[in-house]
Formats: sequence, C-alpha cells, structure tokens
Amino acid sequence: MNNESEMLPSVQVADNPEKKSWTEMEDSVRQRFLSFISPVIFLVIWEVLSRTNVLDMRFFPPPSAILVTMYHMIISGELWADLSVSLYRILGGFVLGTIPGLIIGLSMGLFKPVRLLLEPLVAATYPIPKLALMPLFMLILGLGDMQKIVTIATGTFFLVLINTVAGVINLDKIYLDVARNFGASRKDYYLTVALPGALPLIFTGLNLGMGMALLLIVAAEMNGANQGIGYLIWESYDIFDLNKMFVAFIMISLLGYIFNVILNEIERWIVPWKQ
Amino acid sequence: MEAVAAGEKNMLRVVEASRAPAKVIIEGLGKRFKTRKRWVVAIEEVTMTIREGEFLCIVGPSGCGKTTLLRILAGLETATSGKLEVAHRDSAKPLNSMVFQEQSIFPWMTVRNNIAYGLKMRRVDSRIRDEVVERYLKLVGLSKFADAYPHQLSGGMKQRVSVARAFANDPEILCMDEPFAALDEQNKILLQEELLKIWESNRKTVVFITHSIDEALVLGDRIMLMTAHPGRVKAVFNVDLPRPRNIATLRTNPGFHKQFSEIWSSLREEVNKAKADEGICT
Ligand SMILES: Nc1ncnc2c1ncn2[C@@H]1O[C@H](COP(=O)(O)OP(=O)(O)OP(=O)(O)O)[C@@H](O)[C@H]1O
Ligand SMILES: [Mg+2]
Repeated sequence: MNNESEMLPSVQVADNPEKKSWTEMEDSVRQRFLSFISPVIFLVIWEVLSRTNVLDMRFFPPPSAILVTMYHMIISGELWADLSVSLYRILGGFVLGTIPGLIIGLSMGLFKPVRLLLEPLVAATYPIPKLALMPLFMLILGLGDMQKIVTIATGTFFLVLINTVAGVINLDKIYLDVARNFGASRKDYYLTVALPGALPLIFTGLNLGMGMALLLIVAAEMNGANQGIGYLIWESYDIFDLNKMFVAFIMISLLGYIFNVILNEIERWIVPWKQ
Repeated sequence: MEAVAAGEKNMLRVVEASRAPAKVIIEGLGKRFKTRKRWVVAIEEVTMTIREGEFLCIVGPSGCGKTTLLRILAGLETATSGKLEVAHRDSAKPLNSMVFQEQSIFPWMTVRNNIAYGLKMRRVDSRIRDEVVERYLKLVGLSKFADAYPHQLSGGMKQRVSVARAFANDPEILCMDEPFAALDEQNKILLQEELLKIWESNRKTVVFITHSIDEALVLGDRIMLMTAHPGRVKAVFNVDLPRPRNIATLRTNPGFHKQFSEIWSSLREEVNKAKADEGICT
C-alpha cells in the first residue's frame, strides 16, 4: 500500500488518458481501503481490550467469541429461524405501511382539498410514539404476528406519507408553469411532473421508514414472541448470554445495511437523474 | 421616435410589417401583486399592438415588469386591469411557447425528452416528433447529449435545451425571456443567427425580452422600451437595419450606432430611476 500511495503524486500527462484512469482507479481503491480499515481496527482494539480484561468480558465479549457463537447458531439453524420470522414481520409491516403512505401522500400532495381534510389528522397522530400504540394493537390483534406487523406499518406509514406530501408540494413552481405552457393536461402534469419530481423525497421516506421498521421490530418482539431477532435480544438478556445478544446486533446491522443497498439500487434504477 | 430608414428594401418591410394584421392587442394592461405587506404594481397602463410575424424586443431596467408582461401574454398570469386580445389562427399549432428566464428544464427527463415535451403533450405522431427533436438537438449543438440528464449539462447547455423545447413546439408566438443571457458569447451569436434564420423562414411572431440593446437591435423589428417600476411603455423604436441581417457585420452599420445611443440615452434615465427607487426602498 505504501508503494502504491507513493506512486500517486507522480506527474500525470494530460494527454494520456490511460494513465489518468489508473490514478482514478487507485484513488477509489484507496478510498475503499480507508472505509474498510476503520471497522477492522475497531474490532482488533476491542478484541485486545476484552482479552486483556480492560473491558469487562461479561458485557463486551471478544469479537472472536461472538463469531464462534454465531457460527454455532448458524449450524443449528437457530439464527435463520429467528431471522426469517423477523424478516417476515419487517417486510410485511414495511409493505403494509408504505402502500397506503404512498397513496394517501400522493393524493394529499396533488389534491388540495384532500390535503386540507387530512392534514390536521396527520399532524395530530404523527407525534404519538408508535411504541405507545403497541399495547392497543396487542389488545385488538392479540400477541401474534399481526400486532407486530401493524406496529411496524404505522411507523413506516407516517414517514412515507409525510415525505411523499413534501415531495409533491415542494416542487419548484416553474415546472407547473412549463407544463401549463406546453399544454399538459392535469393527468399529464401528475404523470410527467408531480410524480417523477416527488420521487427523490419518496425514496427518502422509504429509507427512513425502513430504519423505523428495524427500530420497531426489537420493541415489538419484546412481548408475546418466542422467535425473532428482537426476541433473541430479550432472551439473551434474560439468560445473560451476551454473545447471543451481540449476534443479534450484528444481524440487525446487517439487515439495515442490506435493505439500504437494495433501496439505493432500486432508487438508482427508478431515479436515474439524481447524482 | 422613428429613425430614418436605412435602405429602400427595408422601408418596404417596415410598411409591410405595420400593415400585417394584429396578432396581439394589449390595451391599458395592468398587474398588481399582493404581497404580505402591500400591493406591488408590476406593470401599469401598457398599450401595444404586436403584428403578425413581427419580431418585437422588450428592454427595460431590471424589475420593471418585463417578465410579468410576457407571462400575462402567455396566459400564465392574469392581468388585474386592461384588455388582452391574442389571435389564434391555426388550431393545429399551439398559441405560444415560452423560454423561461430561470432554469426550467425538467431534471427527470433526458435532453431529448425535454425537447420533445410540447410535442408529446400535443400527442404529435412519434415519427414526426423524433424527426423534429433530432433537428433541434442538432441546431442547438446537443446531439451528443441527447440522452444525458440535465445535471450532466452546463448552465448554458440547459438554456439551449429550453430554447430547443420552445422551437420544437412550433408555436404561433415565441415568448422568449432573456433566453441567451446565460450563454457564452460564441453560443449566443450562433443561436441569435439560428433564431434569425428560423424566423426569416417561418415568420413567427416573436416577443423577445433582453437587457441588451445590442441584442435587441440585432434581432428586432421594433424595440419596446419600458419605464422603471412600475412598468409602462416609454417608447417604441423601429429598427431600421436591413434584413437579412448579418450579425457579424451589422455593428459596422452607421445606423446601428445611431440607434444604439438613441435607445441607450432613454434607457439610462430609467435605469437611474430604478436605482434611485432602490435607494428609497432599502
Ligand atoms: N409573483 C409575484 N409576487 C409579488 N411580486 C411580484 C411577483 N412577480 C413579480 N413581482 C414584482 O413585480 C415586479 C416586476 O417583476 P418582473 O419579474 O416582471 O421584472 P423583470 O422586468 O422581468 O425584471 P428582470 O429584468 O430582473 O427579470 C418586481 O417588482 C417584482 O418584485
Ligand atoms: Mg424578468
């Protein structure tokens, strides 16, 4: 690495495109290396501190031990069982919240009467913490999957809704003028201006909604669950098995990362004009 | 106000133009905007007749209401007083297309789809549409960027897309609000030349706002000078320079300088008034 970085400042001849792309490549390698190295260093320090008992091993088991636990949980199928149950609830809740969030959000953004009608309602219900609603959902829906899915859906719903409305109504007015001047009908305006113009913020809403879903799954699986990543955390708390707890943390972080990658990929495909 | 004609052929044209039927009749037009604190009078008592096929340039100090007038003309704003009549003769063509002063191309459409927008909204046959779009892509020098998105373009390139979008729509009246102000000198001259060429071949009615007297003289048949805020018509000048005009050599025409200084002395008064107003306001 040292050698490579020493090569970087070497004089670049402007009319040699091959050489230029070389440095660009090296640059990106170096950047990736930098973002890869920090977690590695972090883990190594953790491992050392934990093994030397500077960190209390009971609360911060060494990463290597966590990995061993994870390996056993994968082999036994336990991890996948928890993961699949949570995944079902997260995705179910996400979809159940996103679809009405999009539909109501778009109609509020596009039709002023709808917005005037629903805005006070949204403003009044949005600040209620979704966790506060959980007991209500448990009473109505029982302790099964549905209650957890609905809790997650509520959280996702508001974030998608609010961002979709903002995406439509914050569009620069000049685009409405252009559409009118070039003879767009109302429907044309919705399809060629309002909807595509709102997409970037809609995706922001989806990303936030996904984060909210991960947050709520842990809380939702605290009660009335005997499987799931959230359950795993509470179970390891009860039996004081911190290795398992950290495995659950890793899983949630991994889920968040994967969802983010997937959403970004979809966004890149649907919103190609965004830099 | 009328300057001496530069040549016989030109004399003929002026007469022709003034005999052409009226395309737009503006009578005592006024527009007030309501802001939070008070009413702002943007334009007042504007009276003007624009002839069919005429190239009218509008100059005036910043904030005098040029954009407001053009937006009323284009139907994007309604006047608060006065009368506006626009003759729409060919129902197959859109009445007007606007080149907006500010950045107005859709970030979510490629250059090609931006230029095609008017044609798409009018449901023009896709084969004809493609042909037209291709032609205007070439004309504004953006063929290579046909499938690029606006964020990949420079400011001047975006403005050229906006110009092409209006041209491609083939309207009866072209409304252009400082369309070349953001362009570099080379592209500006090229597009001025193209605009003249297009106009000379199809004789659309063009209403062209500019802050440059120079540009107004190069392009226009008549120049309408507006007063400082609130905007009224201060004077209308006939541009007596021979057509077809050659932008490169036009400035050597003695008539050019004579008209330039005549218009500038009148405009300067307004610019100074506008400045004085600002001083009071702030
Ligand atoms: N929507 C609006 N609401 C309130 N005031 C407005 C509005 N649009 C324009 N004005 C005011 O009307 C006046 C004329 O504005 P306009 O944009 O027509 O000027 P302009 O001649 O085009 O100026 P410039 O050369 O700088 O583009 C200005 O004082 C402006 O502040
Ligand atoms: Mg303006």
